[in-house]
Amino acid sequence: MKLNDAALDKEYYVSAINACEEGMGEFLFTLGCFPGEKITVISQVASSYIVSIKDARYSIDENLAAAILVEDSSLATLAV
Amino acid sequence: MKIALTGNPNSGKTTLFNAITGKIEHVGNWPGVTVEKKEGDVKQALLSGGESITVVDLPGAYSLSPYTSEESITKDFVVNESPDVIVNIVDAGNISRSLFFTTQLLELGVPVVVALNKSDLNEKKGTVIDTLLLSEALKCPVIETVATEGSNNGLASLMEAAVGVKGKKQSAPALRGSRKAETREEVEAVDKKRFALVSDIVDQVERRKINSSKQTTQDKVDRVVAHKWLGLPIFAAIIWVVFSVSQSWLGPVLADLFVGWIDAFYGVVEGAIGDNVNPVLSSLLLDGIIGGVGAVVGFLPLIMVLFFMLALLEDSGYMARVALIMDRFFKKIGLSGKSIIPMIVSTGCAIPGVMATRTIRNERQRRTTAMLAPFMPCGAKLPIIALFAGVFFNDNAWVGTSMYFLAIAMIIVSGLVIRMITGDKSVSYFIMELPEYRFPSLKRAAVSMFSRAKAFIIKAGTIILVCNAVVQLLQTFNWQFQVVAEDMPGTSILAALASPLAWVFIPLGFGLWQFAAAAITGFIAKENVVGTLAVTFSVTNFIDVEELALVGGGNEVMGVFGIGAVAALSYLVFNLFTPPCFAAIGAMNSEMESRKWIWGAIGFQLGTGYVLAFLVYQLGTLFTTGSIGSGFVPGLIAVGAMIVSVVYLIHKNNKTASEAVLKAA
Repeated sequence: MKLNDAALDKEYYVSAINACEEGMGEFLFTLGCFPGEKITVISQVASSYIVSIKDARYSIDENLAAAILVEDSSLATLAV
Repeated sequence: MKIALTGNPNSGKTTLFNAITGKIEHVGNWPGVTVEKKEGDVKQALLSGGESITVVDLPGAYSLSPYTSEESITKDFVVNESPDVIVNIVDAGNISRSLFFTTQLLELGVPVVVALNKSDLNEKKGTVIDTLLLSEALKCPVIETVATEGSNNGLASLMEAAVGVKGKKQSAPALRGSRKAETREEVEAVDKKRFALVSDIVDQVERRKINSSKQTTQDKVDRVVAHKWLGLPIFAAIIWVVFSVSQSWLGPVLADLFVGWIDAFYGVVEGAIGDNVNPVLSSLLLDGIIGGVGAVVGFLPLIMVLFFMLALLEDSGYMARVALIMDRFFKKIGLSGKSIIPMIVSTGCAIPGVMATRTIRNERQRRTTAMLAPFMPCGAKLPIIALFAGVFFNDNAWVGTSMYFLAIAMIIVSGLVIRMITGDKSVSYFIMELPEYRFPSLKRAAVSMFSRAKAFIIKAGTIILVCNAVVQLLQTFNWQFQVVAEDMPGTSILAALASPLAWVFIPLGFGLWQFAAAAITGFIAKENVVGTLAVTFSVTNFIDVEELALVGGGNEVMGVFGIGAVAALSYLVFNLFTPPCFAAIGAMNSEMESRKWIWGAIGFQLGTGYVLAFLVYQLGTLFTTGSIGSGFVPGLIAVGAMIVSVVYLIHKNNKTASEAVLKAA
C-alpha cells in the first residue's frame, strides 16, 4: 500500500521505496526510511504529509508519499 | 590545529561555531541555512593554554554520500582536507538518526568528538541519554552541550576533549565488511547493519518519556499554520505585522529620532566649515556626502526593526512551514517548496539567497530559483520602499506587504514562463525536515540585527559614499567643467548622461533624468537609489515628510519630485523587479554556471521590471484619472516586443521538442 493510503497515527513498516528520481532512495535511506523501518503519518495538510521517521518530523509531498510503500505493522511482525 | 564541525542539518553547528569563535554567522531554525564552509578561531577564553584552534563550520549532511551540492562540500572537506579532529554535532533529541552519520565519520581515521547538542531540550521532555555508555559504545568522547547558552554550556569541555584526542587513534565500532564494500548492494548491506548497530546503541543508552511518533501540541500547530486554506492568509498576516511594526509604528518613531541626529550633524559640519570654503567643495561634502549618505542611513532604524522581526520568525521554526505551504503553488510552476528558502534568505540580501539555491538538486529548478530569488525585497531595497511608502502613501504597511507578496506572485508567474521557455516538464519530490518550534530568542534576534546593521553602515560609508560623491560632482559640472548655474540643473553632465535613458522611462511615468540616474546607480547598490534621489533633488531628509513640504514650497511632494503617486508606485516596482545589484548578479553567475542562463536572467529581469512598471503606471493612471498615461503607444510597442520575443522562445522550444519526438520516432 502507498503511504498516501495509510491511516493517521498508526505505525507502519516500510516495505519498498519506489522513487524514480536518482539518489532519492539513497537519501531516504540516510534518514532511516528503508524497507523494514517504521514510519507514522502524523497529519495530512493540503496535499502534503507530515510523517515521523526515527525521531524526526518531515514534510513530504504526495508524489514522494506515493513512492513509499508500507505495510501493516501486524503483518510485518508476523513475517518476522 | 584544525577542527571540522559536522553534523545533520539544523543540529546547531553554526550556533556552536558562533559560540566558540565569537563570530556572527547567519543562523536559523531550519535545515540548510549554511551552504558553504566558514572558518574561525576559537576564543582564548575556551582554550586552557596551548596552541590556537581553527574551526571550520560545514554545511549539514545526513551522511557521507552527498545528496545535494552543499552536502558534498562537507564530504570533500572531511575526507580530503584531513582536519586534526572532527567535532560531530548530534541533536540530542534525535540520536537514532544522527548516529548513522557519526558511525561513518568514525571510520575515516580522524579522531572524533561527539557534541550532544540541544541537551537542554531533552531535559524538558524527560529524555535521558547515558553519555558514558554512549561514549563507550562509540569509542569516542561524548560531551553534552547547549550552544545557545552563554555559560555552563559544555563548550569548554568540548574544546578540551578535542585537544585531548588530537593525534590519537580511535577504533570505530566494528561493522563487518565496511572497508571492502564497493558495489551499491554491498554498501547498502553495510549501511543496513550500520542502522541496526545505531538502533542497538540507542536502545541501550536512551530512555524516552514521550514516544516521538505520537501527536504533540506542535503537530496541532502545524495543522493550522500549514492548513490548505488558512496557511497562506496566516503567512500574509504575519508579514503584514512585520511590515506594520517596522514601517508604520516603531520604525518611523526611531527613524525620526535618528534623522534628527543626522540633521544636527549636518548643522555642526556646516557651521564648522563656515562660508569661506569653496562652495563646490562645501556642497560636495554637505549635500553629496552627508546629505546623500544620511538619506540612506536615515532608514537604518526601519531596516533594523524589520531584520529583528524577521530574525525572530527565522528562529521560531515557522519558516520551514512556509516552505511546506508554498510547495503546492511552486509545484505548479515546476519548482518545489525548497525554492522558498532561497527567497526567504533573499529578504535579507540576495547574495546569500542565491547561494542558498545549492540545496536544490534539480539543475533547472536551481537556476530558475537563482534567477527569481532576487525579486524579493532585500535589505537594500527597503529604503526605496520606505521612502515611497512614507512620501507618497503616508507610511502605510500595505506598501511593503504588497511588494513582498507581489514579489512572490511575480516569482510564480515568471517561474511558469521560464518553465515554458526551457520546456522542462520534470517533477521532483519534496522532502524537508520540520524543526521543532521554539520561543524565539530576543538575544539571537538582536545579534542578527546588529550584524546586518553593521554591514549596512559599512556599505553606506564606502560604496554608497563614493557613488554619492560622484553623482554630486557630475551634477555640479557641465561638459566644459564649469559649475552649472543654479536655475539650469539640466545642463549638468549627470543630466546629459541620464536624459537619453529618461526617454525610455516616459511610458512608465517617470521620464525625468533624476529618476533615470538613480535607477542606474541602483545597479551598483540598491541603496544608491535613495542616495541619488536625495542628491539630485537636494532633499536630505526623507523621513520627516513635513520638511519635504517646506522644500517643495506648497504643492508638497508632487512639487519636489514632479511625479504623482501612481508614477511613484511604478518607479518602486521598476526598482524592485529589475536586475539586482552587480554583486548579486555575480552570485547568480557563479551558481548558474551557464552564460546562456545568466544573460537570459538579466534580460528577463529587465523585461519584468519594465513590463510591470508599465502596467502599474498605465492602468493606475487609467483608474485614477480615466485617461491613459504619457507615452502609452511607444511603451505598448516595447512591451509588445518583449512579450512577442518570449512567445517566440516558447514556440521555438516546443518546435525543437516536437522535432526531437519526430526524430525519435
